[in-house]
Amino acid sequence: MLLSLALAVTVLFVVLRLLGNPVYALINLEATPEDIRAASAALGVDRPIFVQFADYIGGLFRGDLGTSFSSHLSVSDEILRRLNVTVPLTLISFALSVIIAIPVGFIAAWKSRTWYGTAFSALSQLGGAIPVFWVGILLVTLFALNLGVLPAGGFPRRDWEDPGAALTALTLPVLTIAIVSGSELARYVRSATLDILDRDYLRTARALGQPFSTALRRHALRNGIVPVISILAIQLATTFVGAVVVENVFALPGLGDMLIAGIRQQDFPNVQGVLLFSTILVLVIGFLGDVLQRVLDPRLRSSLSGNRRGKVSA
Amino acid sequence: MSSTRRPRLLVGLAALAISAIALTGCTSNAGSGNGASAGSDKDPINVGSIYEPTSLDPIKGGSSGITEAFTGNVYEGLFRITDDAKVEPLLATGYKVSDDGLTYTFPLRDATFHSGDPVTAEDVVFSLNRVLSPESLGARKKQLSVIENVVATDPKTVTVTLSKKSSSFVYNLGYVWVINHKAKDLTSSEDGSGPYTLADYRKGSSISLAPYAKYWGDKPKNSGIEFHYYTDPTALNNALLTGQVDVITALTSPDAIPQFEKSGDYKIIEGTSTTKELLAFNDRVAPFDNVQVRKAVYSAIDRKKLLESIWDGRGQLIGAMVPPSEPGYLDLKDNNPYDVDLAKKLLAESGHADGFSFTLDTPDSGVHPTVAEFIKGELAKINIDVKINLITDDKWAEKVYGAHDFQATMQDHVNDRDIYFYQNPDFYWGYNNADVQKWLDEAEAAATPQEQSDLIAKANKQISDDAASVWLYLNPQLRVAAKDITGVPVNGMNSLFYVSKIARG
Repeated sequence: MLLSLALAVTVLFVVLRLLGNPVYALINLEATPEDIRAASAALGVDRPIFVQFADYIGGLFRGDLGTSFSSHLSVSDEILRRLNVTVPLTLISFALSVIIAIPVGFIAAWKSRTWYGTAFSALSQLGGAIPVFWVGILLVTLFALNLGVLPAGGFPRRDWEDPGAALTALTLPVLTIAIVSGSELARYVRSATLDILDRDYLRTARALGQPFSTALRRHALRNGIVPVISILAIQLATTFVGAVVVENVFALPGLGDMLIAGIRQQDFPNVQGVLLFSTILVLVIGFLGDVLQRVLDPRLRSSLSGNRRGKVSA
Repeated sequence: MSSTRRPRLLVGLAALAISAIALTGCTSNAGSGNGASAGSDKDPINVGSIYEPTSLDPIKGGSSGITEAFTGNVYEGLFRITDDAKVEPLLATGYKVSDDGLTYTFPLRDATFHSGDPVTAEDVVFSLNRVLSPESLGARKKQLSVIENVVATDPKTVTVTLSKKSSSFVYNLGYVWVINHKAKDLTSSEDGSGPYTLADYRKGSSISLAPYAKYWGDKPKNSGIEFHYYTDPTALNNALLTGQVDVITALTSPDAIPQFEKSGDYKIIEGTSTTKELLAFNDRVAPFDNVQVRKAVYSAIDRKKLLESIWDGRGQLIGAMVPPSEPGYLDLKDNNPYDVDLAKKLLAESGHADGFSFTLDTPDSGVHPTVAEFIKGELAKINIDVKINLITDDKWAEKVYGAHDFQATMQDHVNDRDIYFYQNPDFYWGYNNADVQKWLDEAEAAATPQEQSDLIAKANKQISDDAASVWLYLNPQLRVAAKDITGVPVNGMNSLFYVSKIARG
């Protein structure tokens, strides 16, 4: 995991610097070549790249993500502030998409021959195929512009001091992510369920006289949950990334907005900060998913010693 | 697959999930409702803009956003540029200039900074030197570099000595903020003397301003201002349509106008801007080092049709760099007339009867790509093949502005009084005409405003005759406000947006 992280940090640092000189994002149309040189020196981007890199890594070890090239505010303060938007947005959307996906996916599989089973299946295909921003625009048109019941975008200036207003601001963004991400997840749940319903052990359990619900709970659920968990971990990470797009559509001042503005302004410290943070988050979620799978599946637990290192660092 | 009698539970579960979605949608109806704003006098005015300041301190890299939010609102200069482009005293009560035009004396008004310190001559010296410092990226630095020396003659008087005469010196001072020299942090807070203090700063989202109780001048007509920033113009328009903001500082396209007009709850405020859309040649390199080629290109483009399609007939054709609001304006829109036959003739005379091809470096922002496509279509008529090369704004700054590595490019020039760019042979477009340089120098040394205006007009005519660039059109300044909002500044003089007169009802 640490190796992945080190690699990510290095690649990111180098690739960003191939984009060009960030000073050009700051100048006005009267800046002379001398102005540009002086400003480059002030940002420190005129130094050799390995000096800048050493400086950056040194900062990371002190827990210092640096200062934004454009706003000159501390990157870590800025990230922490924006987590107020992105973390609730991601977690609520994720929870909602799981709540939608599990019953929808299950029914789509179990009742695949009925009209509503087919309908659920088709809906999940449709929901997963629509681009996130398009769902966002659709919901804004309906709920904000036509019905006028929800704000079209923005986040209260006072953050969570007024939880009602904050939740209201997040409603449409959450729905947007949940529809798309819930549909994708429903498809996984459907195929996992289809897989299990055909298994011999389920038939055997029924033959032994277990009612369907008991067989489902004791055998199908425990077997089916394992692949779903690994998908859930990936999906949580995807939801986080989806939040980036959605924040832009709804003018939410979260991490995604910080990332996009950072790229536009060649604000390397901000971009590096956000991506480093996201990378760590995705790695940690993946790790927790692995751990959870082992807790739930005794087969994985028994092979723990032999398998662990290879799997976890993936 | 067995179908036992258990469907109710599962259908129920699904129904629950669906109603959960519906509930999240319906329970929270605290959105400010549809249509125009319904706030009371006590509520701050919400202003929507797509120009978020990149930084609160323009010395470290400018953006029009900080001018819009702070100039005249949070910070004040010695002078102020009014909405109709006049200069009036602000923190200075006036000025005296010596007979040789080189020494200016500014007596200061009694005013205090938001931290409570009085505004003194020392602060003015500090602020001017700050703009002139080597690492400063502040606007007007180049023009203000005529300053040789700034001294505080006494606590309430500043004396400035210039190295040469500058008739626009006082005008340029209108853009220099007077900042408390004791201020520690100018990137997340401020210490100015304007009618508002910075109450809250949320990067990426909002800036809120609260009235400053001890302001020396007229009290604001509102209880505060909140700037809300959007990256997407549609999101900005939606914010006004749903009552989240009361005013939009600038529409970036006319597409949304019918939406606002239809409802009757909004007013559209049309003023003039100083933003000129240019097809700028690199006058140093072939084929655009040839005046006839430039004039041929100019005459091949139907600007009227372009303005019609981009701005729906709003805005103005200008034909040279100086807009009507500035000294030196001449109506030159037909100086290079739209005439395809003339264009063909000029092209033939220049030795390019069969046409040629060139690369048009086009920033991928705003209307530039659309305008570039239009130009490509127009120039095809005279056998000129345009290769559009889309680049980012930053790449533009590096490649075109910094390295002069281009044949022709698209750009909008937002600044007021920027005809001076044609005086600088090292500017990105490389226009080099000794007469224009001389006239603009003389304009700076002019004794009277009339003389200054006449000289600028001469230079303006010359660059138009030389087709130094193609001035496609002058943008309109379109603001939209809820019907009950009054006092919104009309014109977009270089992004200035004075908010203290905005009120409800």
